[in-house]
Amino acid sequence: MPTRTIEFQNLSKQYKDVLAVSDFSASALSGRVTGFLGPNGAGKSTALRCLLGLVSPTNGSAFINGAPYSALHDPIQHVGAVLDSRGFHPGLTALQNLKVMASASGIDFARINEVLKVVDLEQATNKRTKGFSLGMKQRLSLAIAMLGDPEILVLDEPANGLDPIGIVWLREFVQKLASEGRTILVSSHQLAEMQNTVDDVLIINKGVLVAQGTIKEICNGKSLEEAFLDLTLRRSA
Amino acid sequence: MKNLLQSELRKLIYLRANWLLLLWSGLFAGLGTVAPIMVLNSETRGMGMGFSGTNTPEGINAVFANAAGGYLFALIMGILIMTNEYRHGTAVGTFLVTPKRSTVLLAKLIAASFAGLIVQVFSFIFAVTSGFIALNFFEPHAPVPMELLWKVFRASVISGLVLGIVGVGLGALVKNQIAAVTGAVIWTLIVEGLVVAFVESIGKYLPAGAITGLVDVDFGDNDFNFSIENYLTPGPATLVLLGYAALFSIIAMRTTLRRDLD
Repeated sequence: MPTRTIEFQNLSKQYKDVLAVSDFSASALSGRVTGFLGPNGAGKSTALRCLLGLVSPTNGSAFINGAPYSALHDPIQHVGAVLDSRGFHPGLTALQNLKVMASASGIDFARINEVLKVVDLEQATNKRTKGFSLGMKQRLSLAIAMLGDPEILVLDEPANGLDPIGIVWLREFVQKLASEGRTILVSSHQLAEMQNTVDDVLIINKGVLVAQGTIKEICNGKSLEEAFLDLTLRRSA
Repeated sequence: MKNLLQSELRKLIYLRANWLLLLWSGLFAGLGTVAPIMVLNSETRGMGMGFSGTNTPEGINAVFANAAGGYLFALIMGILIMTNEYRHGTAVGTFLVTPKRSTVLLAKLIAASFAGLIVQVFSFIFAVTSGFIALNFFEPHAPVPMELLWKVFRASVISGLVLGIVGVGLGALVKNQIAAVTGAVIWTLIVEGLVVAFVESIGKYLPAGAITGLVDVDFGDNDFNFSIENYLTPGPATLVLLGYAALFSIIAMRTTLRRDLD
């Protein structure tokens, strides 16, 4: 039985004159891939950063397994996150970056080889990351996110920079993780790909939740792209 | 905390830029002892500044006091420890591992203090060794007393510990790495140097002035009336430096705890 592992409750974030997220309430379930969709500047990244305690909400809250991120003990052993393709030092090798993260959270270094194998980055272990392609950076970000073997993954545009083979790999990767009972919350602009990947959909536009449901409910016989455009353009109009 | 400290030390060790900075600190402090030996023994005798030559104890004091001069690099090390997180986006990963930012900051302050200590001990050893080698070319020279070296070493250790912390605070405040490092260099090499040398009533309370007070050696007669009597004694000088460490620790905490990571 899927449980609500991620919950946003009336979340709002105001930046000076801009209301980035407004009274946003939504949830993601365990064992399912939830697509978090919205146009550029819709508030997806802000909502995810509020969820992960990186940005303080103006109002409302976000919870992981019923607690704020900051209250989790050893958080990266519960939640793995890919927020952009940075997040590691370009002057360090992939292995060194992973060692820095692993040692900060007391994770055994044996796990590093496992995650490098999972993301198919073993051949670049000792290469400095400033020489990485965007796709390799995404894979390393995923490796870092998987270090703690978390039951929840939050992925912000993880397909950016991946080639078609990489995109297929990513799809199978997240679906396999969900089949193990993990919660996957993934934001993306690649709607055609998301249609093949996700079980549930959240759509946000101008900081406001405009739709939430299973992909079947949201699409209602249309493609995800058509449904997305209907929902976002109709609201804007 | 132990895990975080290990992680911070790994960053320090893995980054080649840190090793280059360490080397530069030695070269800079080494230049600080070798150049005065050359100048004090030149035809112009201290470029007309009236300092004693290296055949006098005061001249030797003036030379070896500079062995504590690598503190700028301890400051830069602290700045890099903090600003690298923002420049390369690693702050996100760091705060995801440890959401309690005050704990992260504490680990950074300890790591920066340790790094500053290493920089200053290394540059002291490099500068003293360089000074001894250079002195051999200008015999006879006055002896180099152990007490002098001890005083300069003490100043190096305390300034290294403190300026690493100050660097973290500065980096947390400014965030932009280039701006923070450039500002630190201009302040230390130009503004502070001039104030310490010419406005001693204010300069003695600045970090460089306090370090001068910590060194606590007599430079003898010179045309600037530059006298250690005008600076704080080692006890108050240490307190002033610790005050800077406390002030910049608070700045680091307040800015980092409040800041959104967009």
